[in-house]
Amino acid sequence: MALRKILLGAVLLGSAALPSSGEAPKKEAAPAAKSFTGATANLAPGDAAGQWTRQARDYANTRYSPLTQINTKNVGRLRIAWSFSDGQMYGHEGAPLVVGDTMYLVTPYPNIAYALDLSKPGAPIKWVFQPNPDPRAIGKACCDKVLRGWAYADGKLIYNLLDDNTVAVDVNTGKEAWRVKLDDVTKGPTMTMAAFVVGDKVFVGSSGGELGTNGWFQALDVKDGHTVWKAFTNGPDDGALIGPDFKPFYSWMKGKDLGVSTWPGEMGKQGASAPWGWVSYDPDLNEIYYGTSNPGPRTPSQRPGLNLWSSAVFARDASSGAAKWAYQFTPHDEWDYDGVNENVLIEIPWKGARRKVMVHFNRNGFAYTIDRKTGEVLVANPFGHQNWAKNIDLTIGMPVINDAAHPIVEKKVTNICPPDIGVKNWNPSAFSPRTGLLYAGVFNSCMDLNNHIVQYIPSSPYDGMEMQRHAGPGGNWGDFIAWDPVAGKRVWSIKENLYVWSGAVVTGSDLVFYGTMDGWFRAADARTGKVLWSQKLGSGITAAPMTFVGPDKRQYVAVYAGIGGGAGVLRRERGFMPGGNTLYVFSVDGNGIGNGTTQLTQAGAPAPVSVPPAAAHN
Amino acid sequence: MRPVVFALALIATPAFAQVTADTPNPLAGNADAIEAGHGLFGKMNCAGCHAYDLTGGMGPDLTDPSWQYGGKPGEIYHTIAEGTPRGMPAWKDKLTGDEIWQLVAYIQSRKQ
Ligand code: HEC
Repeated sequence: MALRKILLGAVLLGSAALPSSGEAPKKEAAPAAKSFTGATANLAPGDAAGQWTRQARDYANTRYSPLTQINTKNVGRLRIAWSFSDGQMYGHEGAPLVVGDTMYLVTPYPNIAYALDLSKPGAPIKWVFQPNPDPRAIGKACCDKVLRGWAYADGKLIYNLLDDNTVAVDVNTGKEAWRVKLDDVTKGPTMTMAAFVVGDKVFVGSSGGELGTNGWFQALDVKDGHTVWKAFTNGPDDGALIGPDFKPFYSWMKGKDLGVSTWPGEMGKQGASAPWGWVSYDPDLNEIYYGTSNPGPRTPSQRPGLNLWSSAVFARDASSGAAKWAYQFTPHDEWDYDGVNENVLIEIPWKGARRKVMVHFNRNGFAYTIDRKTGEVLVANPFGHQNWAKNIDLTIGMPVINDAAHPIVEKKVTNICPPDIGVKNWNPSAFSPRTGLLYAGVFNSCMDLNNHIVQYIPSSPYDGMEMQRHAGPGGNWGDFIAWDPVAGKRVWSIKENLYVWSGAVVTGSDLVFYGTMDGWFRAADARTGKVLWSQKLGSGITAAPMTFVGPDKRQYVAVYAGIGGGAGVLRRERGFMPGGNTLYVFSVDGNGIGNGTTQLTQAGAPAPVSVPPAAAHN
Repeated sequence: MRPVVFALALIATPAFAQVTADTPNPLAGNADAIEAGHGLFGKMNCAGCHAYDLTGGMGPDLTDPSWQYGGKPGEIYHTIAEGTPRGMPAWKDKLTGDEIWQLVAYIQSRKQ
C-alpha cells in the first residue's frame, strides 16, 4: 500500500489541503483564516491527509485533520454510511486507524482485532485476531475493561492486552507476529493505554493507580517486542532512569532519589504512579512526554511527603529513556488527580518570541502551558470549576491549596471540586493550527469525601476514598470547550447534560466533532462553538472520533458509540445510556461503500463502488 | 431474616473443605456477625472493588437481586474463599472460616 509520506517541518497556518493518497489534490487551501492565538504545531510525521495511522493522528497529539470535503456548509447533511458492531460490551474508547485501504479496530477486553476492507462494499472483514487474554484481568482493571487505542507500524497492528501483554499482529496475515508479557496481572497491574510508535520503538505504560502497583513505562522494539529501556516512576533514580541529564525547572524537584525519600519508608514501591495515558513526541528534541497517575493509597494521610513522581509529567530522551525534566502537577495528591492526560505539543508566541510548549488539561482543573524544553510553567489557569486550589503560584510552580479541601479520615468533607475523576479525564482534546485553539470535553462536578485508612493487600485496591459526586454550579455535568492556551481562557463553551467524555477531532474546514454520554454525536463550528449537526447514536460516546478519506475518495467521519470506562460513575444519572459496541461511519448524504442500489449484488461478488456525486465534493 | 440460632462464641465453623453449596450459614442474621462482616468488608479492601455501599465498581453490585455464582450461603462462602475466574481474588489464605461466614452474613443482610 502506498502510504505516501509527506515530510513536514513546522506546519504553519493554511496547510489545510495537503495532497494525499486518498484525496485528489484540491484547488488551493482554504483562504488563510485568522488564528485566535497564533499558536501552531508540527504535524509530523505528516501522513497523507486522508489517512489516520495513529490515535492522535500526529506525534504532537493534535488530532487535527487537514480534510475539507466535509465543511460547515454540508455538515448538516452527514448521514450514516455504514456501521460495524463488534459484539463486546465494555466501554469503547479508541479511534479506528485507517492505513491504505484498511481500517483497524480493536475491542475492549477480550481485545479482539478486526481489519476491515474499505475498498469493498460494506467494508467486509479481512481478518479477525483473538488474543485470548487472561480473564483474571477483568477483576483488576479499575475503571472498566477498556483499551484507549492501538498503533500501526512496520506492517503490524500493535496494542496492549488487559492482562499486561503487548501484542503485534501481522496486518497481511492477521496472525500474531509477537507477544511480550510485561507484568503479572494477578498482582494488580493491567494495561489499557494506547501503544504509541515512533520509528523502531513502541512506547507502553502500566495501569493500576488504585491497586498498589509499581508504575512503569517502557520502550519496546517494533521488530520483536523486546524491551529497549524501562523506567519505573517511583523508587531510586537508577530504576527511574534519572541521571545527569535530569534538569527539572523547580528546585523542589531537584535532589537524589526523590522517588524514595518523598515517601514514608518503602511506600513508593506500592505508590502506583502508573503512566496509563497518552504519549507525545517532539522529533526535533527527540523527546517523549507522558504523565503518571495518582499516588497509592488514595488516602493521603498514610503517605506524608510530595510522593514523587506521582501525578506528574516526564520528558525523556526517546532513544535512551533518560529523564530530561519532570513536573509534578499535584504535589502529594489528596484527591486522585492523575497527571496522565494528553500533552499536546504546540508552538506559541510568548513575550515576543516563539516557545515550544505542551498544553495539558489536568484532572485538577488547571490547564497548563509548559515550556517543553525546560519544564517551566508559563500558564496555569482553571478551565472548569474547581475549588481545591486558590491558584498555581508560578514563581515556584506549586498550587496554593484551599484549607477546606483537605480530606479527613473517617469524616465527611463536603463539596470538594472536582471529584476524583477531575475536570477532565483521559478523553483527548484536539488542537487546530488554523484557529490556534484547543478543544476539549470537560466535567463540572464536586464530591463529598470520606477517607478511610487502608492496608496494602496485594492484588486488591489500595484506595480508601469513599465519595458521592454531584453536579457543579449550573447543574449541568459537562461542557465542550474551546481553549486559548496563551491567554489561558475559554473562548466558547457548549453546555451538555452529562460529562463530555469523548475525544475530539478538528478539521481543516474548522469543524470540531465530539460525542456525549447521552448519545449525541455533534459537529460544531470551531470558531464560534455553534452546533451545526447532531446525530443520536445507539449508546453514549466515550471514544475518540476520527476522519479519513476512503478509496472512493470520499471523506468519512467515524466514532464508536459504546459508553463505559470511568464514565460509568454516572451510570445512575438520567440520560446515561446502556452499553454498546457500534462503530458509526458518516458521510455527506450517507453516500459511499455501505449502501445504494449498486451494492446489492449477489453475496461474495465484488460490487462496483459508487462514484460520489459531484455535490459530495463541497 | 432468619432467627439467630447460635451465639457467636459457640460456633464450630466447618473447615473450608466441608462447606458445600447447601451448608447453612451458622451466623445468618447474627447482628454481631453482620457488624464484624461490615468491618471486614472495609478492612480487607472488598469495598475497593465492590464500593463501600456494595453497589459495585471494579467488581459487581452485591446488592442487586442476581447472583453470578449462586446466592446460597455456601455458594457465597465458596466464591469468597476460592475466588472466581474473572478476577475475584481468593481469600481463603487471608481470612478464617468464621470471618468468611461473617462476610456472607453481612452481604446477605444487604441483598435486595
Ligand atoms: C480486586 C477486586 C476485588 C476484590 C478486592 C474483591 N472482589 Fe469480590 N468480585 C470481584 C469481581 C471482579 C467479581 C466478579 C468475578 C467474576 O465474574 O468471575 C467479584 C465477585 C464477588 C462475589 C460474587 C457475586 C455474584 O454475583 O456471584 C462476591 C460474593 C464477592 N465478590 C465478595 C467479595 C468479598 C467479601 C470481598 C472481600 C473479602 C471481595 N469480594 C473482594 C472483584 C473483587
